[in-house]
Amino acid sequence: MQFLLRRLGFYLGAFFVAITLNFFIPRWMPGDPTTRIILAMRGRLRPDQIDAIKESYGYGGTLWEQYWIYIVKLTQFDFGISTTNFPEPTSTLLFYSATWTLLLVGLATAIAFAMGISMGIYSAWNRGGFFDSLFTPINVMLNAFTPAVVALLLFYSLSLEWGIFPLGRAHALDVFPEWSFSFVINILYHATLPVLSIVIVTFGAWHLGMRNTMINLLDEDFVILAKAKGLSDRRIRYRYVARNAILPQVTSLAMSIGFVLGGAIITEIVFNYPGLGKFTLSAIQARDYSFIQAQLLLLTSTVLIANMVSDVLNLILDPRLRTGGQH
Amino acid sequence: MSSDPLMQVQNLTVDYVTEDGIARAVNDVSFDIAKGEAFGLAGESGCGKSTVAFALARLTRLPGLVSGGQITFDGEDVLALTGQNLQNYRWNKVSFVFQSAMNALNPVIPVSEQILDVIEAHKAGDAAFSRARAIEMFELVGIHPDRLDDYPHQFSGGMRQRICIAIALCLQPKLIIMDEPTTALDVVVQRDIIDQINELKNQFGFSILFITHDLGLMIEFCDRIGVMYSGELVEVNDAKTIFTAPQHPYTIALGKSFPPLSGPRVRLEGIRGAPPSPMNLPTGCSFQPRCAKAIDVCATKPANLEAQSDGGLARCHLLNP
Amino acid sequence: MTPPDISNIAPSQQALMKELGVKPRPKWLRNLPIGISGLLTNKKGLAGAIIMTAIILCALFAPLIVNHNPFRIAGSPHIRPGAEHYMGTTRLGRDVFSQLIYGARTSLTVGFIAGIASTVIGLIVGISAGYFRGKVDEVLTFFVNVVLVMPALPLIIVFAAYIEKATPMLIGFVLAVTGWGWAARTIRTQTLAIRSKEFVLAAELGGEKKWRIIIMEIFPNMLSFIVGGFVLATIYAILAEAGLEFIGLGDPSAVTWGTMLFWAQRSQALLTGGWWEVWPECIAIMVTGAALVMINFAVDEITNPQLKAGRNSGKVKKYLAKRGRSVDVF
Repeated sequence: MQFLLRRLGFYLGAFFVAITLNFFIPRWMPGDPTTRIILAMRGRLRPDQIDAIKESYGYGGTLWEQYWIYIVKLTQFDFGISTTNFPEPTSTLLFYSATWTLLLVGLATAIAFAMGISMGIYSAWNRGGFFDSLFTPINVMLNAFTPAVVALLLFYSLSLEWGIFPLGRAHALDVFPEWSFSFVINILYHATLPVLSIVIVTFGAWHLGMRNTMINLLDEDFVILAKAKGLSDRRIRYRYVARNAILPQVTSLAMSIGFVLGGAIITEIVFNYPGLGKFTLSAIQARDYSFIQAQLLLLTSTVLIANMVSDVLNLILDPRLRTGGQH
Repeated sequence: MSSDPLMQVQNLTVDYVTEDGIARAVNDVSFDIAKGEAFGLAGESGCGKSTVAFALARLTRLPGLVSGGQITFDGEDVLALTGQNLQNYRWNKVSFVFQSAMNALNPVIPVSEQILDVIEAHKAGDAAFSRARAIEMFELVGIHPDRLDDYPHQFSGGMRQRICIAIALCLQPKLIIMDEPTTALDVVVQRDIIDQINELKNQFGFSILFITHDLGLMIEFCDRIGVMYSGELVEVNDAKTIFTAPQHPYTIALGKSFPPLSGPRVRLEGIRGAPPSPMNLPTGCSFQPRCAKAIDVCATKPANLEAQSDGGLARCHLLNP
Repeated sequence: MTPPDISNIAPSQQALMKELGVKPRPKWLRNLPIGISGLLTNKKGLAGAIIMTAIILCALFAPLIVNHNPFRIAGSPHIRPGAEHYMGTTRLGRDVFSQLIYGARTSLTVGFIAGIASTVIGLIVGISAGYFRGKVDEVLTFFVNVVLVMPALPLIIVFAAYIEKATPMLIGFVLAVTGWGWAARTIRTQTLAIRSKEFVLAAELGGEKKWRIIIMEIFPNMLSFIVGGFVLATIYAILAEAGLEFIGLGDPSAVTWGTMLFWAQRSQALLTGGWWEVWPECIAIMVTGAALVMINFAVDEITNPQLKAGRNSGKVKKYLAKRGRSVDVF
């Protein structure tokens, strides 16, 4: 339990750093968001109107006052007013698009992890065999492709040329969103290529990681002992080697979420998928600063929560973390 | 002790195939282990004693290769065992105790599972029977059965080694190979474990192949001792004789490098130089470059392991002219 | 003792090598420092190194290879690949081939510099944390973990949104600043492991200055990890840079592989059938990434020889089978 508390402390600390960064970056950059609006008004604003605009964007008062207001607003999930969808609050669009992104990321991570780990186990056990010599390098090289390229290629070939998959969006426009089976299928159909893009680029890392960890474990005394005991090959492979090898992979799983999010954002742009990526891009072009900053905070919290989940998983899987014990 | 040896090792040679050449870790080793006997294999680190142990247990790992020799256990050719026969050999007939108990136990599964899985792998029986046996073994080594479901890291070093011994015993093997079982433990715990092993050996009558670099410990515990140097057996004799009347120059030098606990202070003598590289074994005797008593023939002709007058074996030109 | 069974006497070491068909490495290879000899013998690493060298050479000698100015309009828009324009022209009339070769310059430079920078930062932080331990370690590790946990792209997006024009160099800088976490962590772990070894303790007791110990004793033992970290950081930087420019966060007037993709997407090259505007840079990115990955493979296997796939198991099994031994080895 101490372990979890310590990790929680770290996450709060990291979140604090994110919030602070988010606060300071715009203030470090030349100019501020309000200047644009003021310029657009071509100087036809009275001083008190200028102050009011600055205030509404959080630039009123001294730096400390701004910071305090910023924190208070955050606790109320008030991310400010969106400039693109004025006067909608940023949070509406943010949470809507975030849901789609998280769907992609969740599906892609689960599939990539399951695929990579199983292939890794097989490769490690049949080291040097046909599968290992061929697929390990290939899978890892796939890992080195940027999601932009993979997404583009998939889009071009499967959606455009051969029309097997839809050209974009999360679901067909003429289907009414509801919790029906056909709707879910529709969603999955539209999500296939984006998820596939992300999976292709990420599963190689799990494959290699699991394979290498397992190979290193094969020299451990307890594995040799398992062999000496005459246990079945199956039992040694899964209960002795893989069961230990999976621990570091679970730890990296949490760290990889940040990277997967990046890939998801780029993929969404290619597939016109209504996730955070697409809306962030338009937010950048329209200089919707509140949205941009909000997405950073949201994604950071997502990664931190994912890390917490991974810590709990680690706790479940590794008895050494649970009970203090002697070493 | 009956006259037929339990385990017979003849001309055992183990090589490691590397990209720079072949390293001969074990070179033409021959010895016997009788029923109920504690046979010790002594020598410095890297002399090949662990490699011999692994070969006997059929645990030689690639790129290691048993390139020659014969191992006979109870009449069976060990090196030819495959499939079901190999399964039967493992743990049923020969079991193993490793040096580091912390590393020898799977850290993520409970200890009970680690003793139950080997019972279930070899003996068809119901869960209750296996569990009962596990409890029995735990009590035998002095660990409370309540702790059966704990994890390895929850035990102390000495207890972990005892668990390993319990696991090694649970199928009542005829030979237990112990590779430096007490090296990782402090002296007091060491004494405990050795006493425990002795007690169990007297109770069940199994043989032990005891490997260590601690010659003193070995002289106390073992019935017979084989001294290895650079992959070869240089002397074999019963423990008492190795202690009182060593014959091979290496054994004599080893004895001199241990400080006596009592008596006048004597000057400790180490052995100058280092063992030859296993990649390129010398043409003559391997010990010759470091031997104080070497004669001409030692550099050109390798010596053979020959029987001596006192019943032991030694590999030395001085003793076997 | 029963008389020895002569039929199973082992052949001499030389005879055994011959029988197995194992040839030792040539002497000149053995005398090279371990890194270089490892790279040369490792097929994957060698292939990767050759490809990478070819790409770098192309980039270096760009002005000699290209025949058009990549920054200006070089011909009519949307021409198919042909004699005049090897890879055709973009929708805006720029020569794709010239853009590709010149793009290599920028993409690779940014990638390598960002890779070096993040490796250096990671190295300094990692060694300091690992060597000094205590409070210094705690504070540094906290920051390493924060950097590792922070999602890179969203953070970079925030940066880029406020910077009007993100030149490739600036992108490289931001990538270095956000990507040093992994190198720092690996190096810290290694430093901790080496630090507790006896030769370091001996140096400390002998009164050597701390910085000397770090440079002379600890650093050389981590070379393979540092090289591995550098290769990974470079892969990450090149790919991330391309991705960022693709979504429009870069400087559109620069010529890099990422901006090529950006313009291709912008001008809807794919929809109008202009595949030649998209494929070259895609392939370039993929090949560069793949080459670096193969080099990384080689570095991994040098650091950790266990990972090498081949262990002569086939030859060993044949030898055993010939002598009627059990082939059940692992």
